[in-house]
Amino acid sequence: MRKIMFMFLLFLWVFLSAVPSFARTTQLNYRLKWLFNTSVAGDIYADAKGFFNDVGLNVTVKEGSPEKNAINELELGHADFGVASADQVIRALDKGAKIVVIAQLFQVNPMQWIYRTDKPEIKTLQDLKGRNIGITFGGNDETIMNTIFAKAGIARQEVTITGVRFDFTPFFKKKVDVWPVYRNSQGVILKDKLAKAGEDVYFFNPSDFGVNFVANSVITSADMLKNNPDIVEKFLSALLNGWEAAMDPANEADVLKAVKQKDKEANDEIRQKQLNATRSLIKPSAAMKIGTIDLPAWTQTEQMMLKERQIKKPVNIGSCLIQIK
Amino acid sequence: MLFRRIYQFLIVYSVAIAFLWMIKMGLSLSDYVIPGFSLVVETAGQVFKEYFFDVINTLSVAVLGQALSIVLAFTVGISGRKSSWIGSFIKVTAYNIQAYPIVALAPIIFILLGDGFIPRLMIASMICYFPLLLSVLGIMATPVENIEHFYIVTGRMRWQLEVKIRAFENLSKLTTVISGSATLAMAGTIVGEFIAANAGIGYSIRIALYQSDLAKILVALFMIGIIISIYQGILETLGEQMKSKWSISNGGEVL
Repeated sequence: MRKIMFMFLLFLWVFLSAVPSFARTTQLNYRLKWLFNTSVAGDIYADAKGFFNDVGLNVTVKEGSPEKNAINELELGHADFGVASADQVIRALDKGAKIVVIAQLFQVNPMQWIYRTDKPEIKTLQDLKGRNIGITFGGNDETIMNTIFAKAGIARQEVTITGVRFDFTPFFKKKVDVWPVYRNSQGVILKDKLAKAGEDVYFFNPSDFGVNFVANSVITSADMLKNNPDIVEKFLSALLNGWEAAMDPANEADVLKAVKQKDKEANDEIRQKQLNATRSLIKPSAAMKIGTIDLPAWTQTEQMMLKERQIKKPVNIGSCLIQIK
Repeated sequence: MLFRRIYQFLIVYSVAIAFLWMIKMGLSLSDYVIPGFSLVVETAGQVFKEYFFDVINTLSVAVLGQALSIVLAFTVGISGRKSSWIGSFIKVTAYNIQAYPIVALAPIIFILLGDGFIPRLMIASMICYFPLLLSVLGIMATPVENIEHFYIVTGRMRWQLEVKIRAFENLSKLTTVISGSATLAMAGTIVGEFIAANAGIGYSIRIALYQSDLAKILVALFMIGIIISIYQGILETLGEQMKSKWSISNGGEVL
């Protein structure tokens, strides 16, 4: 009898001591858009350095992929927060999804085009004429390039369009002159490979020519924002503090170490170059606060998608952008 | 046979899509996650013609790939039917190569050969070749003792006769395997197009996936299903006709 009583008291003690600690932390899932690599350094750093735990949140940061769409997961209840590109957000709104954007991570879209310096630099959009340009049919880069052609008044016959995918061989073999890359990941790797072969490259950045197509942003469900504004605020402040710390050059060694734990693919030198490239896209100037939502760029993105018939009707994107102070 | 295939597919497709719509209603999901009936119908109206020609394009590659794999499987299967060293080498090689997933090999093929017609044909053939080869090897390596014994003891057995006896005695199995491999050839071609190609329904599905457009994917799946059902039905009907013809010409009953 005494043994049973002892067991009961022990169980009660374990239970009572466990309850407050459970109540203190909130379990959340955060789905990224792509695999763990340097372009999500801030997300990795916020998790690794306990930024979420500090505000009482227990956040599981999950890597993404083409099949793991954060918007789907928000609706299905598998994630509470996620990262999605502007085109995904606008398409989802067009189809009735109830989501909101609470921060814009990339101030400059990493989707750019790489080309060799043996061809003249593209200083005006007219310089694209006569070139063989790679496009991922159905991808963001197709929408961006079509907008550029329309803006510059370039007819399809004045350029050669080649459909591209993961394999860079046509670019290495110089069959395609201008190749779409993510500036801070593939762009760094390609530039490095070509440098080793004695070749130098330029990057063609559409935003330099006034074409601003927004990239990755942090999203959540409208219900989450309405019912748990305190959790949204805590999550976002922890995440953005993590990003601010990760983009601070003083923390570079620490950030690279945290990224290396998750991303075994790239080598140390490449990771460092990728981090530098990411810094200039996330925080283009010291004064720029990470997470700032660029309303004109979002409006332009919506207009581009409308013109390209990727959405049927305007979604009034401004009403779904919530800049939390 | 043909109509049975088609209505069987329609039943399976309808059940699957009804299940999706039940989930959509149960969880109040938007059209972005699971498209509603009107969106699927509207999308079908927009892409039906384009997807129809895409599926026909894919099917033409799949049919050629299947034909190629049948020729290859019979050539290798007949050569490897003996329990000699070379026969067992061919069998072991076939089993080992089958162990490699085609999705891992496909990118290498596309890097080496580009993204034209030949790589799609190769991938389609590779996917349906190995199951065919294993069946052909199994059939050709198994003697039909009660018939072959007579030709062996009378000294009239030749390799051509041996192959004919074994093929005829297993005709039902062979036609089933060949019609079944049509699905594999189609799946192989779609996988190839999905990974890296610039034409076909697999390529269109990849573009729809980029745009998270499940309505387009559902329409594409419908088109693939209905056309592969027709193709399989035709193959099975041809198989039945062949079996009847062979049996009657040999003085036997319809199998």
